[in-house]
Amino acid sequence: MPLAIYIARRLVFLVVALFGVSLITFVITRVLPGNPAYLIVGVQADESTLEAVIERLGIDRPIMEQYGHYMRQLFSGDLGDSWRTKNPVTTDFAVRWPATIELASAAAILSVAWSVPFGIISALRRRSLSDRLANVASGLGVSIPEFWLGIILILVFFFHLGIAPAPIGRSLGTVPPDVTGLYTLDSLIAGDWGALRSALAQLALPAITLAITTGAPLLRVTRGFMRETMASHHIRSARALGVPERSIVLRHALPNVLLPVSTMAAMMYGYLLGGTVLVEFVFAWPGIGKYAIDSINASDYAPVLAAVLLSACSYIIVYLIMDILHFIIDPRTRT
Amino acid sequence: MSPGERSEVPAPEIESKAAAPTDVPVLDVVDLTVGFGSSTNRRSIPLQGIHLQVAAGERMALVGESGSGKSLTAAAVLGLLPDGAEVIRGSVRLDGEELIGAPERRLRDLRGRRMAIMFQNPRASLNPVLTVGGQIAEVIRVHGEAGRKESWSQAVDLLAEMGIPNAPRRAKDYVHQYSGGMAQRAALAMALSCRPDLLIADEPTTGLDATLQQQVLELVVEQVDSRDASLLLITHDIAVARSHCERTTVMYAGRVMESGPTATVTADPKNPYTSALLKAFGTVDQRRMYAIGGVVPTLLGELGECAFADRCPLAAPECRDGVPELRQLDDRRVACVKA
Repeated sequence: MPLAIYIARRLVFLVVALFGVSLITFVITRVLPGNPAYLIVGVQADESTLEAVIERLGIDRPIMEQYGHYMRQLFSGDLGDSWRTKNPVTTDFAVRWPATIELASAAAILSVAWSVPFGIISALRRRSLSDRLANVASGLGVSIPEFWLGIILILVFFFHLGIAPAPIGRSLGTVPPDVTGLYTLDSLIAGDWGALRSALAQLALPAITLAITTGAPLLRVTRGFMRETMASHHIRSARALGVPERSIVLRHALPNVLLPVSTMAAMMYGYLLGGTVLVEFVFAWPGIGKYAIDSINASDYAPVLAAVLLSACSYIIVYLIMDILHFIIDPRTRT
Repeated sequence: MSPGERSEVPAPEIESKAAAPTDVPVLDVVDLTVGFGSSTNRRSIPLQGIHLQVAAGERMALVGESGSGKSLTAAAVLGLLPDGAEVIRGSVRLDGEELIGAPERRLRDLRGRRMAIMFQNPRASLNPVLTVGGQIAEVIRVHGEAGRKESWSQAVDLLAEMGIPNAPRRAKDYVHQYSGGMAQRAALAMALSCRPDLLIADEPTTGLDATLQQQVLELVVEQVDSRDASLLLITHDIAVARSHCERTTVMYAGRVMESGPTATVTADPKNPYTSALLKAFGTVDQRRMYAIGGVVPTLLGELGECAFADRCPLAAPECRDGVPELRQLDDRRVACVKA
């Protein structure tokens, strides 16, 4: 059973990778200047209160001892507590991760929806209008910083045109009953069209911002692979035996292109799931990215570490799922 | 024939091999000239005045060194010239039907059905993500020869005919599961799937093991013969031409140098280039390997002299006076003023 062995091997890799990520992040956050104890007790506190807080946080211990303690916690499912929000990190995540998942998923869907078909079409005819447009779009998309694009979109669609809602997070009206934590899905389940409209309206600008910046490299890759495939020997052979152009593109070329492109799309999705710090910040989106930034600014170790681990985890898991899919789809991996 | 006359050739409504008079060649290429770039900005002329006739049931070898224009001739016949290349003048007729200027729809219909091609490097010629049988069946299907189920069983039969063991199962395999020799057999099955009148085999054995080359060539000849089809075998190896083809056309620098029955062309070459090629392939007894001195000329424009003049041992001043015409000489044609 090669698939089972393959998955097992990848899961071992997952554990090793997470171990490495945790160690590096742990050490970096601890050696950076900034002592949370000062922030917790405030400037007015006396020496003994400070000492007590340092003792309670355990940050006076040797760093490896602290790490060992953290890992023991981690294995029992405890990501530590945030002193800033006064909640266990897992509780904070449960509220914020759905927001990130919703934004990441919407952005990934939009991103693939525009970039992949555009990449395919623009590759078919060199120097055609679509090819030139693709050049411009991908060039702009990869060079525009996403926070700047987000601000421009807010300026145009909210401030000047007034067709987008204010960039103040996920929803203006009532929140639909919590099932999945994704407002769009939950309002669909509840049949609440007003809430759905509101959720989609809030989602639109940040999702479009991310779809543009993540779609641009995807467009380039798709166009590159499509060009390469269309110039390959087997396409020439099929054409020379009278296979119609429609079948050449859809049946002969497309599957060869979608295999590598889907890997790239999965990597992008994994990256988005880890929280999109800048866009969440610009749109006040209450997701993992914004949570991580707020925690970093407050020297709040536990949430920062947890956010990095979550990011690494989601990246590796999405990648693993895509690999397994390829294992099933691509005939070359089967034998 | 001038370019203006081409479009007036009507596409025959009814095609039938039996209806075609026997003296009409299956493939008739006359004065085919291909250039890169536009007429105002001509970058090169890789094919100049190609004449090539392949009669029904005949096997013709197209011989020449790399860059002589063999494969480009095949591409021009199929109407699949690379981007930037165009036919400047000349005519290509398949069973009497003019292909230069024919609509793409018509060409697509003819490709695979009436003229087919197999390339070198067979493993790259098949799609890695489609089953081998599926690719053969698709060619049968797009030409309206059979439906989905019937085309699959025909594909399986073809694979079996080409000597693929356990064809019903192997048809469901992908090309990476095939060896090079088997992949070339599959490519042959695909090319012959609609019983074309003409098979172009473009270096079909390049990249195969030496032991396989002979087998594959024999299979190609056998299958083409059993279907009463014609073969245009493109090869750089004049020995291959000698053992498998009745007639041989020798190309050099985008021109036909000599063309005629293989036996007479190889036994008594009239063009010094043919002699040099024979010598280089060691078919003339010798101790040391022979190499033709000099390099192939760059084809930046229409040459005004014999293309081989710079390298030819017999070169004389009159060779520079103009491009030697392809003259009839007994049973062959030769482009050499000294012949």
